[in-house]
Amino acid sequence: MSNQTPALAVDRLTKRYGDFTALDSLSITIERGRILGLIGPNGSGKTTTIKMLVGLARPTEGTAHIAGIDCSRDSRKIKRMVGYMPDSFGAYDNMRVDEYLDFFGAAFGIGRRKRVKRIDEVLETTNSTYMRDRYVESLSHGMQQRIGIARTLLHDPDVLIFDEPANGLDPQARIEMRKLLLQLAASGKTLLVTSHILPELSRICDQVAILLNGKLRAFGSLPEIMKSITQKRTFEIQFPSKDAIPAAAKIGRDFASDEADAELSESPAEAIIRLRTAKSDSEMGELLRQLITAGIAVNQFRELQADLEDAFLSITQMDENGTQVAGTPSTEKPVEATR
Amino acid sequence: MNQAIISRELASFLRTRRAVLLQVALAILFATLVLLRWPTHARIDRFGERSREVYRTFGFGLLAVVILISPVFPATSLVRERIQGTLALLLASPMRSWAIYFGKTLGILGLILVLLTMSLPAAAACLAMGGISPGDLLALYGLLILVAAEFTALGMLVSSYAKSIDSAVRITYGLVFALALLTLGPHQFLQGGTGLVSDAAEYIRCASPIAACMELFGQQDVSGQGLMAATDIAKRHAVFAVFATLLMAIWTITRLNHRLLDRAKSAGTITNELGLLSRVFRRLMFLVDPQRRKPGIPWFVNPVMVKEFRTRRFGRSHWLMRMVSICVIVSLMLACFTAIGSTDWNVETIGGILVVLQMGLVILISPSLSAGLISIERESGGWDLLRMTPVSSLRILSGKLASVVWPLSLILLATLPGYFVMIYVKPGTQQSMIRVLICLALTLLFGMLLSTCIGSFFRRTATATVAAYSLLLTFIAVPMLVWVGRDAPFSHSTVESSLTLSPAAAALSAIRVRGFENYELIPLNWWIVGGLSAVFFLGLLIQTWRLTKPD
Repeated sequence: MSNQTPALAVDRLTKRYGDFTALDSLSITIERGRILGLIGPNGSGKTTTIKMLVGLARPTEGTAHIAGIDCSRDSRKIKRMVGYMPDSFGAYDNMRVDEYLDFFGAAFGIGRRKRVKRIDEVLETTNSTYMRDRYVESLSHGMQQRIGIARTLLHDPDVLIFDEPANGLDPQARIEMRKLLLQLAASGKTLLVTSHILPELSRICDQVAILLNGKLRAFGSLPEIMKSITQKRTFEIQFPSKDAIPAAAKIGRDFASDEADAELSESPAEAIIRLRTAKSDSEMGELLRQLITAGIAVNQFRELQADLEDAFLSITQMDENGTQVAGTPSTEKPVEATR
Repeated sequence: MNQAIISRELASFLRTRRAVLLQVALAILFATLVLLRWPTHARIDRFGERSREVYRTFGFGLLAVVILISPVFPATSLVRERIQGTLALLLASPMRSWAIYFGKTLGILGLILVLLTMSLPAAAACLAMGGISPGDLLALYGLLILVAAEFTALGMLVSSYAKSIDSAVRITYGLVFALALLTLGPHQFLQGGTGLVSDAAEYIRCASPIAACMELFGQQDVSGQGLMAATDIAKRHAVFAVFATLLMAIWTITRLNHRLLDRAKSAGTITNELGLLSRVFRRLMFLVDPQRRKPGIPWFVNPVMVKEFRTRRFGRSHWLMRMVSICVIVSLMLACFTAIGSTDWNVETIGGILVVLQMGLVILISPSLSAGLISIERESGGWDLLRMTPVSSLRILSGKLASVVWPLSLILLATLPGYFVMIYVKPGTQQSMIRVLICLALTLLFGMLLSTCIGSFFRRTATATVAAYSLLLTFIAVPMLVWVGRDAPFSHSTVESSLTLSPAAAALSAIRVRGFENYELIPLNWWIVGGLSAVFFLGLLIQTWRLTKPD
């Protein structure tokens, strides 16, 4: 694969089943060695996208290229370039891990000697060497996920596509999975990962694509997405005691009075006020100056970082024009939940 | 207490389109069976023989339906719940194990009863024709309900042990056919004899619902010799069925507890890591040790075939070697029986028994091995993984078929010594024996291709297996039903045309078994069976290609 060619280039990819549009004109590009997180609620078109990328489904319109190779026209080449792990493991009963990997290695046409060596390597990469003699069906879910990844690595593909790899894993296994995905990306592989566990994705992904009802609603790095979906930020100001709260809240309200939808909340128990506003950093500096001028001691003045969950909730609660759907809660999580 | 389970088992199925289709299909089938033999002449039948013929055809059809349909529901019942995790919910509820068991069993039996009611209009037509009494019909339905209860209990027992749905279906059908067909075998060899062995064979025969049904219809056995002793087979069968049902029910109920879910996963001991003494011992015991680390699939072997053998419960080399050993023993026994029997029976009769037994084995084994070849992969999610490999659809198919051809060929080879002895006893039969062997080989091929082709259209292995069994039996057994009515009401040419479709009939005619000696079925049968096999192969090829292509 040439370094100039994007690892994955999708252009107006569409899939329709009769009248139902599962994926509507998806266009994204990923560079080599990046991790793309594909997120969206159930039925948003994530698995449909993946299936078209790996040649298991034919697009109704549009094209998808992996390393410059057309996914639907040259599916045989794509199979050698892509390692795909579906959301179900696909275990074969009565087979040991070693035999399981041996079968897939043979199916990919890897010679016997090279295959034995390769099985050792992928088991080591996935930290699964100790499982090699165990029966596949006897493995725990987390172990099976690791063997699933080992299987995808057997033929040394350039692009790895994992559908819900962290699904059903315990916290320890999730941490191991995260490390493994980062390790694979560091080795030059391009990863496309779907997950419902958004904090996991936000920690590893270089880019995020958010799908909703088959349409791409946001694409880019997490800060870019946050910037594009909302101009508002939340600032948290903490005082030495709750006695300062009434005066500080009054100053805060006066400060934001020119902004119609600014929100100020008080949390006397924590001696904190939170201001959700579209004001810039320099304007917020003015608020801090006013508080200090009024003789109010400030322990902490900081911006709360929005995360992938915020972005996801914002987007899923917006209508197609990008405006907040009436009746839906604010994209910010409740104050107590952020603590 | 178990009303909820009964309603779930029964109502959930009856609400489906499949249930409606099944009921309509059965109603049409039973009506067709009666129509097939409905008298066309305005002639008085004072003894009611014609109406009894109609009744027999109808009765055998009913029995075939019960044998085919009743095992599938119980066989999948417990194992499916265990896999889906709902069995844990049931066991964690205040319901007792017997309540769960009877809830499920009564639900399944209720379903079979609903399906049997589809036959009542046809039964009423038989009764209206005369020649049979309401008592005859009651006896038939009583027997069928007993058979259904027995097979339901058997299916539930197997389901409580099985690890997967398809293995539960296979084992249950295997046991059902063994109970229905193989139990007839010893009596065929030893009938008319005296002594303990002959008596035992007579008792064993009573376990078969076919034998009981034949007695109800006043018929002799296939290839029966001389005067048949009246032994109250139906009554004995009823006693056996009740006893077996109770025994299996108690057995299953005792298994319905937390231990069913508390199974330790095998750690997968590997011989390579055992001590020298253990390794040597295992080498001597197994010859091909299943627990030994494998060297890897060589380039010249189809990996799909190896995978099929390895994933099959009895597919590993040591099991194949054991199968070969059993085949050798069985063939030697058959040869021995043939040699001993030749003084009492003619070669044709023994050949007929052999053919019937082999056909039974083919019907039993081909669909169980072949029907799930593709559906099991689609059901488990393995198919998408296989599609993601560069293995072509043709290679996938050839690997899968090869994994079935080997064990089936072993079965065919196992019977060769018996035929050799027959040729030795009567050298003139050499040509006939060769023809029979060709028929058997074609039957194996036909059974395998039909089952794989039909199975590939289903997503669930259980449904695929049942569909394959039904269609294979239709091809092999339905012409035999027409043969039962040979000369009256069906003409010689009608029976011959019908038998031409059945490879079993062709083998029986080739060996000149009594009742088949007047039909010339070969080579037309070979062309038809070969042609149908080619059609099924083509269908299978297209379906496999279609399934490997993008959706």
